[in-house]
Amino acid sequence: MSVTPATPLAIELKSITKRFGAFVANEDVNLAVESGKIHAIIGENGAGKTTLMNVLFGLLQPDEGEIWIDGEKKSLPNPAAAIAAGIGMVHQHFKLVPSLTVAENVFLGMEIRKGGLIDHAAQIKKTAELSKQFGLQVDPNERVGLLSVGIEQRIEILKVLVRGARIIILDEPTAVLTPQESRELFQTLRGFVAQGMTVIFISHHLEEVMEVSDTVSVLRLGKNVASRPTAELTKSDLVQLMVGRLVSFDRLPRTPTIGKTVLEVEDLWCRDERQLQALRGVSFGVKAGEIVGIAGVAGNGQTELAEVLSGLRPSSHGSLKLNGRTITGLSARDIRAAGVGHVPGDRLVRGVDRNASISMNLLMGRQDQSPWSTHGIINRRYLLEQTQALIKRFDIRTRGPESPAKSLSGGNIQKIVLAREFTGSADCLLIDQPTRGVDIGAQEQIHGEIMRQRDAGKAILLISVQLDELIRLADRILVMFGGTIMGEISGDRVDEEEIGMLMAGVVPEPRPNQVGAA
Amino acid sequence: MMSDRFDSLLGQGLAILFALGLGALVILTVDESPMKVLVTLLNGAFGSPERIAGTLLQTTPILICGIAACISFRGGLFNIGIEGQLFMGGFWATWVGFSFNLPPILHMLLAMSAAVIAGMAWIAIPAFFRARYKTNEVVSTILANYVAVLITSYLTINIFKRSGGQSETPPIFESAYLPELFSFSRLNWGLIIGLALAIGVYLFFTRTSRGYAVTEMGANPKFAEYGGIDIRKQVFLVLIASGAVGGLAGGVEALGVHHRFMEGFAPGFGFDGVIAALLANGNPIGTIFTALFFGALRSGSLLLEVDTTASREIITVIQALIILAVSAQITIRRKASDSTAGERRWKF
Repeated sequence: MSVTPATPLAIELKSITKRFGAFVANEDVNLAVESGKIHAIIGENGAGKTTLMNVLFGLLQPDEGEIWIDGEKKSLPNPAAAIAAGIGMVHQHFKLVPSLTVAENVFLGMEIRKGGLIDHAAQIKKTAELSKQFGLQVDPNERVGLLSVGIEQRIEILKVLVRGARIIILDEPTAVLTPQESRELFQTLRGFVAQGMTVIFISHHLEEVMEVSDTVSVLRLGKNVASRPTAELTKSDLVQLMVGRLVSFDRLPRTPTIGKTVLEVEDLWCRDERQLQALRGVSFGVKAGEIVGIAGVAGNGQTELAEVLSGLRPSSHGSLKLNGRTITGLSARDIRAAGVGHVPGDRLVRGVDRNASISMNLLMGRQDQSPWSTHGIINRRYLLEQTQALIKRFDIRTRGPESPAKSLSGGNIQKIVLAREFTGSADCLLIDQPTRGVDIGAQEQIHGEIMRQRDAGKAILLISVQLDELIRLADRILVMFGGTIMGEISGDRVDEEEIGMLMAGVVPEPRPNQVGAA
Repeated sequence: MMSDRFDSLLGQGLAILFALGLGALVILTVDESPMKVLVTLLNGAFGSPERIAGTLLQTTPILICGIAACISFRGGLFNIGIEGQLFMGGFWATWVGFSFNLPPILHMLLAMSAAVIAGMAWIAIPAFFRARYKTNEVVSTILANYVAVLITSYLTINIFKRSGGQSETPPIFESAYLPELFSFSRLNWGLIIGLALAIGVYLFFTRTSRGYAVTEMGANPKFAEYGGIDIRKQVFLVLIASGAVGGLAGGVEALGVHHRFMEGFAPGFGFDGVIAALLANGNPIGTIFTALFFGALRSGSLLLEVDTTASREIITVIQALIILAVSAQITIRRKASDSTAGERRWKF
């Protein structure tokens, strides 16, 4: 433990280990949270943040380890026990009843009663009092269905407060908020600690953590790799801790095959679901026979970039060209037809129909093309032959072409997606997180297949949050931060320090024509 | 895949048995023998060639409405407005039938086309709003039902009423009749149309690229969108196709059975069709059998009040129990399987 407690500890987790089958979500995690502080927990997606918090809130039982609250060892078999111990949790997804009022939602399940009936007046009064005490502005009489997400979150926080929480866990609270709402939330959190409460704040946003927390713990691959006062750390330090030291510079051998420019992106802008700018003027090009990697901490515009390039999300400004032809604003269908293949990052949602057979999954996108179909009739014999050939070529481990996709492992499902996207007529391939959740053996095969596509002269854009994957495959790496490209690094000369700073939004040395983020 | 299909069939079968068992208990409460009711029902539905024809006559509109429902289910949509489309289709087929005097066959085809167009028109507004603004089609199509029933009723009573007595339109010309199959029954070509449609729709969904696109949209819309399928356009077209078949059901009733339009034209065929399709898991071939089941219940119940002390309303009770058992069974199975929330799947 690197923190020596100056103040009493609100929470102490000792050697927490939580396994799901063979997968270890949390491994020997020690965590000390000081009372009256904002303690941030940061880490990449899948680093084990939410699992750890669910253990602390009694939603999951640890396989090993102890939980101490206010200096007392506790067992938390369920959330009720955690609430009784003074812990409250604000989940990422809100659980409110839209047709009830704010006060009714706050007291749902623990209504104040008078003579067998709900005492609405008392509930409204208490809600207003709490709202005033903690600066959480709400109108207790308003119906929740009419309110914005930011106010819904305040109601969730009030629910936690009214249940007597002194230790409040917030799971990625800013993910759904606008910047303005986030600032108001931080104000509230500071108010909490000023009144002696403790806040645990989960995030993967560097700035927020730097801005609001007193202490930060970094989780990586289920382990707590550092717990330090925030003031002692820079953003680049945080990135390095999140991403980890590069253990292997295991670059796949390659011969230069670079040809003419295939994909040209110029000054691309787009918005995300919250209508915030997700891309702010991205420009780059990808040549034939080249793998361009996109690095960055998750949530800095990479997903949106892939969606815009594949026609699934509209851009608000800028132009896209494929082989010199403008494809800006075309539909997903037309972009596909123009020659772009796409391996989506969320493969179980977009990449496959899990209930459909392998052959039906391989048909997607080409069902109208000959010889897959003739005059609108699917050529079943051809489809079956092709499926069998692709199962063999991509080494998809399955019982047969008619097995449903869901009966396969993650790596084999990904091979279905690759088999479909890599065997079309596409000149350009967008590959998003190709090996997320894929076992080592399948990773090897997938990497090998991507290299074969490169050598065959395809222009490849590879998005990954795993730096070692980018170093292994990419000819050059672009680092994204806050919707812009912070810099470019050659794949064979990767400097850890430099890439870490770029990922944190810091430009290593001043360069002309480039704006460093604050 | 095979075992999935078997599981779902088994589940459906058990649900129906469970519902029939409960129905037997209800029959016991009115001091009647469930066995006698069952025998009477079977006798009423299948006891003679005339009765079998009567059962098939009831089956036909339920089958066609069921196919209309299957089309929307397959695309992940719920057209619950088939009753309304049937009323509109029935009325406008009749209108063409009595307003014009044309050569045989041609007249019938024209009247049938009017029914199809009326069904499409009647779902066009819900379909447009579903495709363009994602307005819940369940609500909008249900609401459209009431409007359809009342409009056709208004047109029948106030504009086109036959002179003298009844609240009905003038009869259609014989040239617009859908030919009967046998001399002893009103059973007509509608049944053949229904069976051909069931097979055609099944082949469309399993063999054609368009059908594949609709199927994947119903199974995983995000995957379909990623694969380049224009969701908005396809949602609209699927609902329009469903409405067209709903309208056709009305045309078949008007031109094949009633030869006129009157109030209470088709008692609940649209809703029975939806239930038959649900029971068949959205499979048009399966719907042939579930529609036959409901047709037999309706037709068998006619004999029920003659031969037993049970009211024919017992049939409604049994239907309700089946719906309850089947939806409970689907819910349980969905919870037990690993499917993500909101994922719908119609297997065949």
